[in-house]
Amino acid sequence: MYLLYFDPGLGAMIIQALVAAVAGVILFSKNLLYKLKLFFGLVKEDSNELFDDINVSESDVDKNEKRGGE
Amino acid sequence: MEANKQHKSSFRDPSGFVFLEDGIVKRKMFPNYFPVYNKLSELQFYNKLFNSGLLIPHKELSASDSEIILLPEQIPFITYPYEWSFLQFKEAALLTLKLQKYCLLNEVTLKDASAFNVTFHNGKAVFIDTLSFDLYIENTPWRAYKQFIMHFLGPLVLSYYHGSQSLKLMSTFIDGIPLPMLTSMLPFKTKLSPTLYTNIHLLAKFEDKHNEDTHGGSTAYSLSKKAQLKIIENLYDYIKNLHLKEETEWSDYYSKINYSDKAFQQKALIIDTWIQKSKAKTLIDVGGNDGTFVRKLSQPIDHALVCDIDPNAIDVNYKKIKERKETFITTFVLDVLNPSAGIGFENAERESFINRARNFEPDVTLALAIIHHISLSGNVPFKRSAQFFALFSKKLIIEFPDRNDSWVQRLLTNKSDFKDHFDFYNITNFETAYLERFELIEKLKIEDSERTMFLLKRKES
Repeated sequence: MYLLYFDPGLGAMIIQALVAAVAGVILFSKNLLYKLKLFFGLVKEDSNELFDDINVSESDVDKNEKRGGE
Repeated sequence: MEANKQHKSSFRDPSGFVFLEDGIVKRKMFPNYFPVYNKLSELQFYNKLFNSGLLIPHKELSASDSEIILLPEQIPFITYPYEWSFLQFKEAALLTLKLQKYCLLNEVTLKDASAFNVTFHNGKAVFIDTLSFDLYIENTPWRAYKQFIMHFLGPLVLSYYHGSQSLKLMSTFIDGIPLPMLTSMLPFKTKLSPTLYTNIHLLAKFEDKHNEDTHGGSTAYSLSKKAQLKIIENLYDYIKNLHLKEETEWSDYYSKINYSDKAFQQKALIIDTWIQKSKAKTLIDVGGNDGTFVRKLSQPIDHALVCDIDPNAIDVNYKKIKERKETFITTFVLDVLNPSAGIGFENAERESFINRARNFEPDVTLALAIIHHISLSGNVPFKRSAQFFALFSKKLIIEFPDRNDSWVQRLLTNKSDFKDHFDFYNITNFETAYLERFELIEKLKIEDSERTMFLLKRKES
């Protein structure tokens, strides 16, 4: 059940199919480029990266201990 | 009675609201949200989010047929999107996307994607709106998609093209940057970027076209989960690779200071000794730059707020916090001459800086190398700045650079003909004005400089 307490925008709902199609192409080509670079040994590891990737790591999710600060 | 306690920021969501009880933030949930809450609890979904640090942890205090009360982990100081630096804003955006992807994989969805659903706690961004989750219905588009663009992608891309000051627009547009304005502010070349063209320009066009469509709400539009994930992943990639142009131009402030290394060390030592003597556990550093002095303290601090007018300094500071995994510093952009006001409905939806600082009740306030900017750039009389600091400072450590200091000289020279008007700027007048509001505990001149440090205690009347 959706409680409509703000306007999601009709145009925004319709356009998502198109946005997704374009995103699909971008992701596919990036992936292909990455694989090519990997094949030719052009991939550099960036150790200065502040943010990790989008996936939540399962080891974080499963830990039962309290999260302790360092 | 209960309605009185309802937090002024919490009225939009019909699923429940946040309220204050004896100074503790709690959350009430109404029966219309019970099915979702019970289902998510059953799936251990909340626990998974707590463990991965995505959502602020909560405990269930009580449950009846009419309401469920939750006690969330308390956050000592809430910062708002218009107070974040670019990096912080970026992290908040990435957190929201990460959360939505994780939700989708668990048959859940975020029903809103407001930037105000995120704040900073323990040195990282965390989602604080526990009732923003809804059960995912197969093949439905993301309702919060437009909101995400207006709240996150828009401000971030504007920052890229116009500088991080653009983020301050969020204090005027608390529901996100309007799409027509966003498209008009972006340069033409953004239309050549497939991601920006579809997510911003085309979206604005579609929204405009369907603006008048009143019966549209009932029509179902279909989007597969796989397709929605593609939107989310592409936005994540795009935002993750977005860097400020000005970022690299930032050079170390402390290499440009006008006093000797010896004076710098002595200043740090004085601050450290006074903080120790005060047994301070919490502090606010107004004009704290990248947090250098807070990090030099030998005594452990529970919570330090470090603010500065320069968003780049906050970016540098936040980067340090992340790299060192520090949990005790909250950093944000603050212009002392125009601190964040109370905004939104009744001017109360988002609290003013002064209210939040008062509630935070820092043991000590640090005001280092800032009084000359307040007095000479801002033309604020000593009496008024003393009054400002007294609003939230029990103890105040303030540094006063006298007239012969080269920075002060430079500021005075800028005044040209108006210069005589600032004859009041000297240590005697400063002391007289401040001692009306504060008692003097200690006063030390920094050797090898024109600067004097004051330790003051507020007069309680």
